[in-house]
This record gives sequence, structure tokens and C-alpha cells, in this order.
Amino acid sequence: MRPETPPEILLPATLGEALASLGERAAAPLAGGTWVMRAPLRREPFAPAYVGLSRIPELSLVEVTDDAIAIGAAVTHADLANALAGFPEFAGLRLAAGSSANPAVRSAATVGGNLCTADFAAADLVPALLCLDATVELAGPAGSRLIPLADFLAQRTGLLPGHILTKVVVARTGQRTAHARLPLRKAGDYPVAIVSVAMRVDAMERIGAARIAVGSVEATARRWTGLEDALLGEPLDGARTTGIAGSLLASFNGRDGVEAPGWYRVRVLPALAGRAVASLVAA
Amino acid sequence: MTIRLTVNGETREFAAAPMTPLVDVLRDGLHLTGAKPVCREGFCGACMVLVDAVPTVACLTPVALVEGRDIETVEGLTSGESPTPVQAALEEHDAVQCGMCFPGMVVALTHLTTSGTCEPNRAAVKEALVGNVCRCTGYERIVDAALAVMEAGHE
Repeated sequence: MRPETPPEILLPATLGEALASLGERAAAPLAGGTWVMRAPLRREPFAPAYVGLSRIPELSLVEVTDDAIAIGAAVTHADLANALAGFPEFAGLRLAAGSSANPAVRSAATVGGNLCTADFAAADLVPALLCLDATVELAGPAGSRLIPLADFLAQRTGLLPGHILTKVVVARTGQRTAHARLPLRKAGDYPVAIVSVAMRVDAMERIGAARIAVGSVEATARRWTGLEDALLGEPLDGARTTGIAGSLLASFNGRDGVEAPGWYRVRVLPALAGRAVASLVAA
Repeated sequence: MTIRLTVNGETREFAAAPMTPLVDVLRDGLHLTGAKPVCREGFCGACMVLVDAVPTVACLTPVALVEGRDIETVEGLTSGESPTPVQAALEEHDAVQCGMCFPGMVVALTHLTTSGTCEPNRAAVKEALVGNVCRCTGYERIVDAALAVMEAGHE
């Protein structure tokens, strides 16, 4: 058997150098390492080389303006949760960042890693950002461009080679947001299903606009548009939401996994949707 | 590549493949066998060390990413003669069972009792220990010991 050459790790100080290295070496970006380091357990080969993103300062910034929040790709879950502490409108995203995995993994795993790992169905940040209608910035040899997150998710395996996701931008629109996740232990496991919601509520506490995203149920997180439409004009009521959601499950095809079969992931969605909406009442 | 780390206050320089997990470098290269590679998935916390004072799963940390950083392992927490407040409290509460999780548990508890990031109540301590799995399931006494250290610190 041929001994495997251990992959090299380059640690460029600028985005330009990082992009150049990706092109030259068929390298892959490496942020916190929590997914890549488990490649042997998944019986996957390492890339020939990795380009570490930890020394590129702008990738680790969270910038907040009156209109938007821009989250660098190398910002960790723990740093994101801290940065969002003073912003109740991002309660859902903050809960996603602050309750995924466990504390040590949250201080290593990054926003960019969560969005770029197409094989990781249980990512918490993906549905949380999807319901916020986030936009990602993708840098490549021809420059940078902004892509709506939903489009990025649909095409990411084709878009990513030779490119680096540099940041995620979320508009500040004063919505109420929530994130309901179901791990089979109280914490520390992958969630078997996730429902993230962002809603505008009128003076009568009725739902005026809703974006709802579902994670971990299918291979890739996506919006639950059937429920979004059905909740328009409804009161913010968890039990009522659960009832309405129960008849809108036909479009889901749950993925089977060691922790839960596909049908179970789908069956818990109405309860999670109800919990998410109920937590908006208190907001 | 040549890697330079500060480990328990000492500067160490050695050759290692850059993707080598930090836990393997510590155990096989530096013979610091406190951190245990148990699940190698970041779930169990038996390999936990402090990197620049932040609890880190050494199994998922490629050594090249911690080049130049300050690593503290369970061996570095005490000078050997007298136990740290966390170690003393764990002994006093009879919390140590098989010992497999304990090096990581001591590292996590040292951080949570000294960093000011954890409220001194059971729920907060349990949340902070989500990534430290004890299969003897001796959690309650471990939590008692953590709270005793935190309460003593507030006196």
C-alpha cells in the first residue's frame, strides 16, 4: 500500500494569497477543522493541501451597522453568539450559534464552515440564516460577488472549488426570530430536526410576513413556504401553529440516519414550528 | 514542518505533519498522556486542553493551527505537590470514578470556575459540561464539586 502523503497546511495572511494558493495546489480552505479533521472517520481522503483562514483578519470580524450585520466566514459559533448578545432581533441566530454542539466545538467551528460543508445536514446556522434571507459573499479569482444564501445552498458544490466564502450579510429589519432544535439528548447531539423562523407581527399580534426554514430533516436546509403562506394573518399561537403545520408535511422527505429515521424527523416538525412561534410571543 | 508551541509554560519545538491532531502530538511527541483520544469526534471531551486559555478539543485541532499558541494540559494545572481547588473539590466530593473523562473534566472545570463565564448554578454548570461525557454517569457529584469551588471563590 502506498503511504499517504500528509496534507500540507498553508497559513496565508491575506485573502489574495489564500485564493492564489487554492488555485495553485488544488487545496481546500480550512477554518476551525471540526469537520475536516473527521474525514478519516467518514473514510474520506484529505485534500492534497489546506489553506488555513485563521490569519486573515477580516474573516474573523462581525460588523454591525444600522442596516445590516456582516459576519466573517472564520467567526466561530461562540464569537457569533457573543457578538449578537445586544440584538434581540437576532435571538434565533444567537440561539443557533450558542446551543449547537458543545462549548469547545462552538469555540472552533465557524460560520463559513457550517455553510460550506454540503454533507453536514444538521448544521444549525444554515436554517437560522436562511430564514433571515442572508446573502453570502464568495471571493474567487475573478473577484467577489454576493449570492442569496438559498441559491448558494442549491449550487455550493459547484460554486466552491477555487473560491472562499468570505462573509454572510443579514439585513436588520426588526423582525422577531426564533430557532427550535431537537437533539435526542438535552444538548450535545446533532439536532434531528430544526425549525428557524423570522416573522413580522402587526399591532394586533397577527403574523404579517413569515420566513420559515427547516434544517436537518433533508440533506440540505430549505424554506417551508407552505407553512409561511398558511400562517399569514394568524395569531402568534404555538398550539395553533402546530395544528396548521401538521397538515403541511407532504413535501418533506426525511433523511434516514443513525440517530433518527426520516419519518421521525418529519413528524416532529409541527411541534418544533409551534415552539418557535410560541417563543416569539414572549419576545 | 517544524512546530513551535508553548506547552505548560515551556517552549517546545518539534517536527510534525501539520494535520496531526494536537492530542497525538501531546501524547506521542511530548509524552503528556493526560489528554485522552477517546471518541476523536469532539463529542466526549476526554482530550480537552486549554489553548490560549480556551477549552479546546485536541482531537479535532490540527497542530499547525495552534503554532505559536499557549497550550495548557491537565499536567500543567498543578505543580504536583498540592491539588488545585478543582482537584481538591473533586476528591472531597468523591466524584472520581473510572477516571477516563477526568483529565478533560478537570480542564473544563478549571476554566468554568475561573473564567467568570459560568453562573454558579446547576443548570449553568451542566450546560458548560455538555462536551464532557462521563460514562460512569457521575455527573451530580461533579456538579456539586464545581459549585463548591465557585461558591468558595465568591466568599
